[in-house]
Amino acid sequence: MTRPRPLLSILFWTVSSLVTLFPIYWMFVVSAKSRVELFGKPNFIITTFFSENYIKTLTDPTFQKYMFNSIVVATTNAALVTTLALFATYALTRYKLTGKENIFFWTITNRMAPPAAFLLPLFLLYTQVFVVGDWKLFDTRTGLILLYCVFNLPFAIWTLRGVIDSIPSELDEAAFVDGAKTWQVIWYVILPLAKPGLAVTGILTWVFAWNEYLFAATLTSVHARTITTGLAEFVTVTGTNWGQMAATAMLTLIPAIAFLALVQKHIVAGLTFGAVKG
Amino acid sequence: MSGLKRMMLGAIAAGLMAGVAPAKADFWSDAGKELTGTTIRGVSESTPPSNYVKNVLAPAFTKATGINVEFEATSWDQMYDKAIKDMEANTGIYDFVYIEQDAVYGYLARDFLVDITKFIADNPKLKAPDYDPANFTTFANYFKGKDGDLFGVPMEAFIKVYLYRKDLFEDPAVKEAFKAKYNRDLAPAKNHAEYVEIADFFTQWGKDKGIELWGSTVQANTGHPASWYEYVESVAPTFGVYNWGIDASNNYAATVEHGGKMNSPEAKKALEFWVGLLKDAPPESTASTWDEVAATFGAGRAAQGLVYGENAAWIATDESKSKVVGKVGVALPPVEPGVMEAAEAGTGYIGYYDGGAFGIPHSSKNKAAAALFLQYIAQPSVQADWAVAGSRITLQSTYDDPKVQAQDAKTDGYYTLMRDQGKLFAGAPPYPFHNQVREAVAPIFYQAITGELTPSDALDQMATTAEAELTKLGYRK
Amino acid sequence: MRSQSVGWLFLAPTILILFVFGVWPFIYVMVISFFDWNSFAADPTMRFSGVQNYRALVFDKGFLMALWNTLKFGVFAVTSQVILGYLLAQLFMKNFPLKGLFRTVHTLPLMIAPVAVGATWRLMTVPGLGPIPYYLDKWFGYEFLISRYVGQAFMTTVVMDIWHWTPLVTLTLLAALSSMPKEPFEQAQIDGANRVQTFWYVTLPMLKPAILSAVFIRLMDAMRTVDEVWMLTGGGPGSATRYIGLYIWRVVFPKTDYGYGSAMSLITLYLTIVMCWLLYAGLVARRDLKRPE
Repeated sequence: MTRPRPLLSILFWTVSSLVTLFPIYWMFVVSAKSRVELFGKPNFIITTFFSENYIKTLTDPTFQKYMFNSIVVATTNAALVTTLALFATYALTRYKLTGKENIFFWTITNRMAPPAAFLLPLFLLYTQVFVVGDWKLFDTRTGLILLYCVFNLPFAIWTLRGVIDSIPSELDEAAFVDGAKTWQVIWYVILPLAKPGLAVTGILTWVFAWNEYLFAATLTSVHARTITTGLAEFVTVTGTNWGQMAATAMLTLIPAIAFLALVQKHIVAGLTFGAVKG
Repeated sequence: MSGLKRMMLGAIAAGLMAGVAPAKADFWSDAGKELTGTTIRGVSESTPPSNYVKNVLAPAFTKATGINVEFEATSWDQMYDKAIKDMEANTGIYDFVYIEQDAVYGYLARDFLVDITKFIADNPKLKAPDYDPANFTTFANYFKGKDGDLFGVPMEAFIKVYLYRKDLFEDPAVKEAFKAKYNRDLAPAKNHAEYVEIADFFTQWGKDKGIELWGSTVQANTGHPASWYEYVESVAPTFGVYNWGIDASNNYAATVEHGGKMNSPEAKKALEFWVGLLKDAPPESTASTWDEVAATFGAGRAAQGLVYGENAAWIATDESKSKVVGKVGVALPPVEPGVMEAAEAGTGYIGYYDGGAFGIPHSSKNKAAAALFLQYIAQPSVQADWAVAGSRITLQSTYDDPKVQAQDAKTDGYYTLMRDQGKLFAGAPPYPFHNQVREAVAPIFYQAITGELTPSDALDQMATTAEAELTKLGYRK
Repeated sequence: MRSQSVGWLFLAPTILILFVFGVWPFIYVMVISFFDWNSFAADPTMRFSGVQNYRALVFDKGFLMALWNTLKFGVFAVTSQVILGYLLAQLFMKNFPLKGLFRTVHTLPLMIAPVAVGATWRLMTVPGLGPIPYYLDKWFGYEFLISRYVGQAFMTTVVMDIWHWTPLVTLTLLAALSSMPKEPFEQAQIDGANRVQTFWYVTLPMLKPAILSAVFIRLMDAMRTVDEVWMLTGGGPGSATRYIGLYIWRVVFPKTDYGYGSAMSLITLYLTIVMCWLLYAGLVARRDLKRPE
């Protein structure tokens, strides 16, 4: 089985990819059609391309602003969460802290709460507590970035725990013996070895932040709205404007894929990692 | 595209007109002088009329007064939720909010809104010269308090009408086949029996000819309240069951046992009729809200149906969205005997007069600027293009505008129908608990659509559940 | 060298953020859950009602139904995702042509927002528009109508979830597999273990934390699902796909029944915690728990 059988594997992956891609392809088909062309016998081949769906979206300043907000919020949040989680996980795995198992489990409970009921207290927090003069946390990107930590930090800590656990603590002990400072140990020992885990954590936290809808819809208004709320507005409101909704969804894939491509190679870097330990 | 272009051109024209008439321009810039640089923020459902305000009227207002407008157009659920949270918590995020016709009672009961009549009377400097509350259509009455003061400036108003495919109804081959089968002339249905016959006929016609055509649209989404609304607003009244079958004067009774009508024989007949239409409806009907129903009709998949008036304009005129341009007939919904007479006498109604207004929450910190904005959008001079773009009319004078009359001709007299017969339609019943009771009974209602419950059982359960919910809310003692 | 205070310092920002944005709202919700509060009730003020909300929940058929459906949904979806995700991750550990491309393709569904995923699946399944009902009818004469048939709707939400979230499991397990040391496998080979034995005694124990965290994340996210299903079915037909997240949303948003909705949230949260704790205790043996020290 270890002997590669290229034809068979290519066949398998092609079929599997087609199945995976089908819904996305269908979204693309819809995005290429005008409203009157949508109904009737489904047609998989795109004969005419109704570019207005894309042009309208791209030239819409609201869309540009939403997209920009989404990129800023997701990227900042992913960076913040991954960094904080690295330190937190390092503390939880390497230090003898009282009650750390409980803290560890407590972090994850923050992700379990069904979000709807928490919107009311958060709304009050954002509009009445975090207020300085005219400035409110409501409708700011900062507000979203901080809030998304609530569901992303637990996830990151849980993912990273396995990763950092699997790095033998003898490695950092040795570094400490050589006189390294804590930050040096994290930077030179842990960071390189945890790269695949960090990359995956980064991707997934980014995805969760990028995808979030309910909080963004309630806690922003005009300035900090993200693209998912924009998508939802297309669907629920203009109801049948499927073409433009699909075009918008296709366009939102572009930054996501770019980000994925950027980070994904670090997962690959980890593939040779086993050798390091020897 | 053409619609949007027309809208934009209209806006430019409106802007030019405002520039030509110096008296008006003076008022807006004078009134805005003290408020220049203020920013007001509003929230609304993102409908064509709202988007017209956002994209055309708000920028024009900013230009005239120097007051900035941030207009948040969002989904129906979100709009409600955020407006209510803001007013409930007295936060002051929004300076004007959209008030759907059925939400006004709840807002008034909670005293969320500023009395606009009084506010303008107290601040005569803010009174725009051509703002005239008497010019509003009767729809404005829904937004008046007990003493007749206005709490919301009407922004959109439509009636839910009976649309039919004029081209098919006038096709000689169709007419002949129909006459041969039912021994009468094919014409828009006056009563439910006729409606069902026509629906049956066209479904069969579609099958025979191998075309995608069904007899009727049904707004029967099994996971969205749109279906419940079609039944209580547009079907039950035509069977003589009004106000959801809840008797407010009789301790909010819903069951027949306690004096309500939610599960009365008429109500059961109405639900049976409506659920029965599904066999003559295109398969997407059980996934259709108001938007999809309009899309289905616009795609030419149904011969007749009840469609919200806000869609009438694009279905009948916009070729980029609709396949039935120029083929749409408009009529009054079919009714049971006696119902039309009751509606004409003012003791009943035959369908839904839908729409909404903008109001100013008490929590707003920029009431003066908001009041100016609401008057700005209520000016007669900005109405016509807005009416053409969104088939909404809130001022009587708008009906006489040549642009509206031209559009009226293209939509088979929709606007005329609304003016002349609008009185036969009514808004939602004056209950402050719309969403609460709807959410309680809707899941049972959906089961009637899927066939898990018979219409009769479903209505019995719904009536009991509605009473329980009303008791819990404290309305029913 | 390793003073406790440095450890706490590392933890501090995380705890602070979670406290302000996680615990504070939690306390608020907890307090509200003991009140009868609906903005549009005859009396719109908050009235203390003790444990009345919790008592009512036990008899709320809709709530229990939603919980049961959610559980069913979660178990079906998560089990399939873990199996599929593990298989894909293992296959990605091998070398084959165009691997990078195929891996990107298999990650794509993850990059689409749930709102858009729901809309896409809706577009595929709405009759008159979508290919699925059209071809099922044409080729097999099968009537596929998720807005009418409860079972079909349920299965569609499960399949949609599998499609959308299997990549998460694949990625998590792929990262874990990639950072695994080689020695135990070499040792197993030397000891003459067959593939099943290697999987059972070597791979699985080492993969446990990663599998566990994937299961946890997926299970608790399935319990919170709102937007995808809301877009696809709106919770219908009837209440067949009205999963608990969506149900709570309907109670606190349109129905503005804050007290009751808060109680519902807390019970759901509590059940999720218990479930996860049982899984955690069951899957991770005691020594695993203590191993970090």
